[in-house]
Formats: sequence, structure tokens, C-alpha cells
Amino acid sequence: MDFLRTLLSRIAALLGCRHRDIDLDDDIAAHLDLLIQEHIANGMSAADARTAALRSFGGVTQTRETYRIERGFPRLEQFGRDLRYASRQLRRSPGFTLTAVLTLALGLGANIAVFSLLNCLLLRPLPVPHADELAVISIVQNNDEHGPNYSFSSPFLRSLEKHHDGFDSIAGFSTRPFQVRDQGSNVRVPGAMVSGQFFSMLETPPSLGRLLTPQDDREGQANVAVISDSYWKTRFHRDPAVIRQTLTIANQPFTIVGVLPSSFTGADPTYRPEIYVPAWAEPIIDAPYNAMADGYHSWWMRMLGRRAPSISLEKANAALASVSNPVLDESIPDAKWIKDARSHHFRFAAEPGSRGWSFMRDTFRKPLVVVFVLCSAMLLLACINLASLLMARAAARERELATRLAMGASRMRLIQQLLVESLLISVLGTATGLIAAPAVSRSLATVLIGNAGDFIMLDTSLDMRVLAFVALIAILSTLLVGLVPALRATSKGLNEQIKSGTQSVHARQHRLLPRLLMSTQVALALILVTGAGLLATSLQRLHGIDIGFQPEGLVNVSLQVDKQSRDGDALVAWYRQYLDGLARLPGVKALAYVSFPPMSGAVWTEDMRSSISNGDQNVYMNCISSGYFTTLKIPILAGRDFRWSDTSPSGLKIILSEAAAQKLFPGQNAIGQSVTQTDSKETKKVFQVIGVVGGIHYVDLREKMLLEAYVPLTQNTDHKPSYVAVARVDGSAVPLATAARQLAANMAPEIPAPVLTPMMMNIDGSIASERMMAMLAVFFAICALLVTAIGLYGTLAYSTARRTSEIGVRMALGAQPAQVVSLVFRENAWIAVYGSLAGLIVAWFAARALTTLLYNTSARDPWVLIASVALLIAIASAASLVPAIRAARVDPSTALRAE
Amino acid sequence: MGDNKSEVLQGTLDLMVLKTLETMSPLHGYGIARRIEQVSGDSLVLNQGTIYPALLRLEQRGWIKSEWGTSETNRRARFYSLSRIGRKKIAEETENWERVAATMARFLSSSN
Repeated sequence: MDFLRTLLSRIAALLGCRHRDIDLDDDIAAHLDLLIQEHIANGMSAADARTAALRSFGGVTQTRETYRIERGFPRLEQFGRDLRYASRQLRRSPGFTLTAVLTLALGLGANIAVFSLLNCLLLRPLPVPHADELAVISIVQNNDEHGPNYSFSSPFLRSLEKHHDGFDSIAGFSTRPFQVRDQGSNVRVPGAMVSGQFFSMLETPPSLGRLLTPQDDREGQANVAVISDSYWKTRFHRDPAVIRQTLTIANQPFTIVGVLPSSFTGADPTYRPEIYVPAWAEPIIDAPYNAMADGYHSWWMRMLGRRAPSISLEKANAALASVSNPVLDESIPDAKWIKDARSHHFRFAAEPGSRGWSFMRDTFRKPLVVVFVLCSAMLLLACINLASLLMARAAARERELATRLAMGASRMRLIQQLLVESLLISVLGTATGLIAAPAVSRSLATVLIGNAGDFIMLDTSLDMRVLAFVALIAILSTLLVGLVPALRATSKGLNEQIKSGTQSVHARQHRLLPRLLMSTQVALALILVTGAGLLATSLQRLHGIDIGFQPEGLVNVSLQVDKQSRDGDALVAWYRQYLDGLARLPGVKALAYVSFPPMSGAVWTEDMRSSISNGDQNVYMNCISSGYFTTLKIPILAGRDFRWSDTSPSGLKIILSEAAAQKLFPGQNAIGQSVTQTDSKETKKVFQVIGVVGGIHYVDLREKMLLEAYVPLTQNTDHKPSYVAVARVDGSAVPLATAARQLAANMAPEIPAPVLTPMMMNIDGSIASERMMAMLAVFFAICALLVTAIGLYGTLAYSTARRTSEIGVRMALGAQPAQVVSLVFRENAWIAVYGSLAGLIVAWFAARALTTLLYNTSARDPWVLIASVALLIAIASAASLVPAIRAARVDPSTALRAE
Repeated sequence: MGDNKSEVLQGTLDLMVLKTLETMSPLHGYGIARRIEQVSGDSLVLNQGTIYPALLRLEQRGWIKSEWGTSETNRRARFYSLSRIGRKKIAEETENWERVAATMARFLSSSN
């Protein structure tokens, strides 16, 4: 109580500071007056009475000082004074301040941006109650090379739902774009299919209506859907009458039964579904496919569970392991499969799942961590650079500080004041960085996601975790920047030196610390430059790969026809008609269909064999129309292309890549021979080889050329297959885009508008993380070089200025300008050589971490290392130029007189 | 200074001020200081200035209140008096002090 009242009163005093000072002075004056009166009454003279009054009052100044300390927050007021002083100091040298703030903003902003990406991908828990009770469920077998498997088939889901020992609830989910009717046309909306216990597991209350329950997730129940808050807002304008309205998803009506709260983001941090439907509706959503009916052949769900609060993760894990065998028996009708699984110790496992599950996590972790390390190195470099610049600046104030020390200011007090200055710089830098960070992280996220998938997103919004990180690095950088210069500026040695009045005597030992700092900076810059060099070389080699076709000028027009009514020959005819329509456009040079354009992320493989091949070969398949090879400029090496007339009655045809032909028919001519596809359903398809073509990079740039084979679109027996029309366009793709949409709307108004992507985007997207890393690394390297150059120049200019008299003496004694120049040059050469050496040693060992990220580039590529060192030495020399010339122009007599 | 005079012990000044204001109020700083000197029979060295931080402390805690008035020499000065809380606190503080003093006395006599 007393404490609180005191605090309030002190705050009040802080706000009305001056007023209170006058009040106290009045009190003291009245008091002294009365004392004087008393002494005069006792018979003293007026002068004596005054002296006596002052004596019995005690120190007036001390009273004022104690009174002030008691009254407000003296530390705060002192801090305010320091702050005003520091801001005056900074305003006096705007050039330095701007450099300092920008350098720091760069380092801090980059760190904040990358940290917010890491935060959303790896750290942030799902915004649901008690997220720590959630567990990700996986399948572990001892023959898994790539770690546990997170995909589940529907029989497993149904069986695990029943055997959820150790868990309050267990649920599966699967995300994908839904085809939703909106104002007459069909659009793609991110959606999720979730099993019955999904929402009770995530303990989410609806903001309107109700959420999906186990009752809804049963065959034969009415089609129901729950929508997100954002979808409610954008599509229904927050109309409360949205409940019981109908959404047409995949041509089927779904009744909206509830709206989710705005805080709910789903179970995958990188995907925000707008619509949730029960898992049993999968055959509707995926039509004409049916993963439910495919049973254990189709692995399409992720699974999460919520532990009972009393049960530890270990216990839940053990409970899952113990139900593994019964679930296996219940779900899989294939005895051979079960036997195989058991022999590999098949079991279910639980992992911590507070952050949900995302496929993107593994994909993005490594590049993000590399980039984060780069950012940290950049920040460290920025801090060291500022420290050395501040040190140079502090030198100008040596006398002032020494005087204040001599007059009794405590060293703590001075350090505090100097630290306030670096605090101000780092606060300004942090603020600038914080303003820039969201835009930076958004654009990084865009590059990083590349073509990872439709509607994949990274929510990089700032939260408490990011802000705590920001505060931490701001404080750390304040100390890094300010502490060393402050300690040194107030050190005793310096004081002594000033007292003796000879600046040059202790120069050698005096210069050691700045040299160390600058060398560290050079070393860091070298590491950054080397890293950037390696990543850029690797990226350039990736770009330089001969991918087997010419991607420039190719545009993919992807069509989605699985939800319309045509099928079979009618659909093929429709496709042909559509292609003919596009071919009439003036800019279009060539056109063809393909199931999976190269490097689009989707892959289809089959096991193939021939009579003379060494068993089954894994072949990368694609289904194409006539004209595909000419469109992509893939050479036809032997035989012929497909024709529209190659229909099923004419016998199954296949075209092989050169590598596939050699592997399947070693030493023989493949044309006319037969290839057998050994399907999982044990039915055999026999194809006749009609052509051999050049190989291409199908999966990504890094992969070697694989065995590839093409089958004709005209012989595809799949129902309602969707194709991508690949067009080679001369000039702008805009007319094609307009025409493709227009034509699709005319010919099949029920299909969603085709999506156009340049082929180059696929290729860039397939190396998205390499591109992001290289771009950032090069950017940081350039900044590092710039910052290092400024630092080297600044400190050298300062130290040379301090040696003016020494140089004057040397010149008076006959030193030639060339000798003086070399004297100054030596200074930075020392720093560059030692710094580079240290940097090289670190880079040599650290580069190993990059090995797995580099393509066809040694992590210790000698040319990159040599070039980096040369670059830094060149930068150091350039930074020495101006101070050296200035030193050579020193007039000995002026210099000596100044001393 | 005489050997029989003692410095004001830390924390005792507050209680002296309160006690003074209990008997005579409102009183200005000078009055309080003089009163303390008189009551203690001049056996106390009191830098009269130290009364002001003490007054501030007590006012911050809400134990005393002040209002502006005019001193005998016609100057603007603050006059202090006890607040309701202050009146209650006196008993408490006195008891505290007596306990400390008694403990001290016991301690000193036992170590002889």
C-alpha cells in the first residue's frame, strides 16, 4: 500500500518536475528566514545570524539533492538526460548516424525477417487450447531411409479412431484445393477433408452454428461443410444467415453448418483451408478418383491426436505401439503386405505435435537455417563495424571523458552514458529493421515457396516470440556495439596517456584493439563472401545444366476437367478442339498436351521391363499428345512421334528416352520391340516402342537424367484426365492467357479458368531454396563488403589522423611520400591479411555444412576462396587509398607545430 | 561537537516528525525541526535540512498532508499535519520502535 502510494506520488512528481523544485526552494527560504530571525532575536548580527542559520540547516544543496532522489526516479531522469545528450551527439554527425542506423537496420531487419519465417514454420504452436497435448502420429518401420512416414490410408484412420488408447481423440486430415461454384463459374478454394474427431481434438468452439462431428463423418450422411472466418467474410459478407446455405463443391451441394473463429488456422501451419468437409466426402471432392475406395493402396491423410492430459507422450507412444498389430490386422486385407510390414517392425508412433504438421517443414528447414546463420553473421559484422567506428569517434572525446573522470565522475557513470548512445543507435536500427522486416519476410516466403504447391503460405506476422527475439537481439547488439568502445574510452591507460600529453607513445598497444575488431570484421566478411560465392556458383551451374529441352518461351496452360461431364473419346475430341483453337492464335508457334510438365513437382513412375532388361526398371512416365517433342524442342532420335490416330485399337505404343532405351534394350535397337509394365495390380500391359527421344530433366535440375517414357494421350484409359497444354509462344503470353480463358469458358463453362504459368517459373521454382539462399547470400556479401569498406576507411582515417605528428616527424627526417603511403597501407594490409587468414580457416571448416546444398560445386572450391580473398584485399586497399594520400600530403612543419 | 550529542538514527526521524505533528499541527518545517530539538533536550545533532526529505517520504506514503500558508516572517511555506492513515500508523510505529529499543537494551545489558 505504502509502496504503491509512494510510486504514484513519484510518477506525479516526474511529470511536474520544475514546479516541485520551486516549492522546495520556497520552503527552504522560509525555513532559513525563521532561523535567522531566531538568531537575531538571540542577539546576533544579521551576517552572523545568516551564517549560523545555514550551519544549523546543514547543506542546502545536499538537501535539495536528497529531496530530488526521494521525490522522483533519479535514474530515469538521468537516463532522460543521457538520452538527450546522446541524441545531440548523433545529430551532430548525421553521416555517421545514418550509416550506423542503416547498417544495424540491415542486420537486424534481416534477422527479424528470417526469424519470423522460422517462427511460423518451426516454432509457433497451433492457436488452439492446450496445443502441447497434441501429437503427430507417424508410421515407423526399420527399413525407412527417409525417416518416419506421415501418410495414412483411410482403413488405418478408421481403425485408429476406434483404438485411441492414450488419446482423448485422434483425427486425420487432408488438404487440397476444392472446386467451388461461385457466381456461375468454378473457382479453386483451399479446403480440407477432416475426420470426425478433428474439431473436438483441436478444442475449437464454432463462432456460428456447429462444427463437424463423428456423426457427420459417416457414409450416407448429408453433405455438410464448415467454413473459415475469412471465407465467411469474403464470400458471405459476415451474413449470419449463412448457416443452412449451400456451397457447390465439386458439383455437389454441401450445406454450411458452421463458421470457425478467426483465430483458427487449421492443423497445417502452411495451409489455410477455407472450407472443411467430412473425410467420407473424399470421393466427391476427388472425383473421378476415390482414395477411400482404394483402401490401403491410397495414402492420403495426415494424422494428429490429443493426449489425455494425464498421459505423457511416452505413454501415448507406447499405447500406439501396442495397438499397431491389431490395427494392421483390421485394416489390411493383404496377408503378404502384413507379413512384410511385421518383418520391418511396423508400428505407429507419436511425436510432439503442438505445432501441427506440415510437409513444408522438412523442405524449408535447412535453407532457412543456412539463411539465418548468414543473417547472424551479417548482424555480428554490422555490430563490430559500429563498435570500431564508435571507438574512432570516442577518440575525439578522449579529453572530455578524461577531464570528467579526473573531476570525479565514476567510470560506471560514463560507461552508462556512452552505452545510452549505442542504445539509441540500436533502437533506431531495430525500429527501421522492424518496419522493413514484414515486407522482407513476405517476399522471402514467396521465393521460398516457389512451386511447392497451390495455396501454400507462410504466416510471417509478428507475435510475442518474434518480439522477444527482437528485444533480445537489440539488447545484444547494443552491448556488442557499445560496451567495448565505452570500456576503452574510460580506461585508465588512456587517461594516463592523455595526462602525459603524448599521443603517439602508446600508439602501438593502443591500436591493437581496433585492429583485432577490424580483422574479425574482415574474417566475417570473407566468410559471407565465400558462402555467397559458393552458393552463387552452385546456382549458376544449376542454371547452366542442359535440361534437354528449351524452356524459354514455353507457357503451361493447366486445365482442370475432372469435374465436368465429358469422358473417353468425347473428352479427347474436346481436348483436340481446344488445342486447335489455341493454335490459331498468331503468337503461338507450337502446342501439345502433357500430364505433368517437367519440374512441376508432380511425378508418375512405373516399373518396366523388356525380355532382355535386367529385371524391372523404374521409369518416369508421362502422358502426352502428338507434337510434344517439337513444342519442347526435344530431339526425336529414332522412330516417330505419336499421332492423334494412335488410339487403343492400334495397340499400346510407347516412346522411350535415350537412357531408357539403352537400359531396357542394352546394345539393341529399341524400335519395334515390346516393353512390359508390371503393375501393382498384377495386370500386365505390353507396349510397342515406336520412338526414341532425347532425355530431359523431369523431376528437378539437380537430379541426373532418369529413365523416361511417354505414352499417348489417345490411349489413356483414366477417367477424365486433366492435362496441361504447353505452348511455345513468340513474344508476350498475355494474348494466349486471354484466349485460353475465353476459349475454355466458351467450350466448357463448368471447368475452372485455366491457370497459366511460364515454364521458367517451374524451373526456378524447383530450385526455389537454392535461389533464395544464393540471392540472400550475394546480397549480404555485397553489404558486408560495403560495411567493411566503410569500417576500414573510417578507422584508418582516424588512426592516420592521430599519427599526423609522427608522420610529420618521419617526413622531417627525410621519409619519402611513397614510404608514408606504404606505412599507412601496411595498417590495413595487416588487418586484411590476418582477417582473411582467420576467415579462411573458419570458412574451410564451416563450408562442410553447405556441402549438401551445393550442386556440382566443392564446398572448398579453390577459385571461390581465392577470389574472395582477393576481393577483400582489394576492398581493404581501396579503403586505404584516401587516408594514405592524405598522409603523404602532410606538411611536416604544420604537423610538428600542432604537437 | 559535544560527546553527549548523538546523530539522528536512521529511521527514527520519521517517527519523531509524526510524534511532533500528533501534538502540534499544522506546523512548518522549521517548527517541526525546532520542536524535535527542544523535546530531545538538545541532545541530538539535527541538520535541519534533513527534515525535508523525511517530510516528503511521509507525504508520499500518505501519512501526512501539507497545505500552503504564510510563515511568521511572511513567506510562503508548507504547513504539515497528520493524515488519518498517519494517525493510525503512529501507534504501530511506536510499538515497533519500542520493541527494537527493548531488544537493543536487552542485548547490550546481556553482553556486559
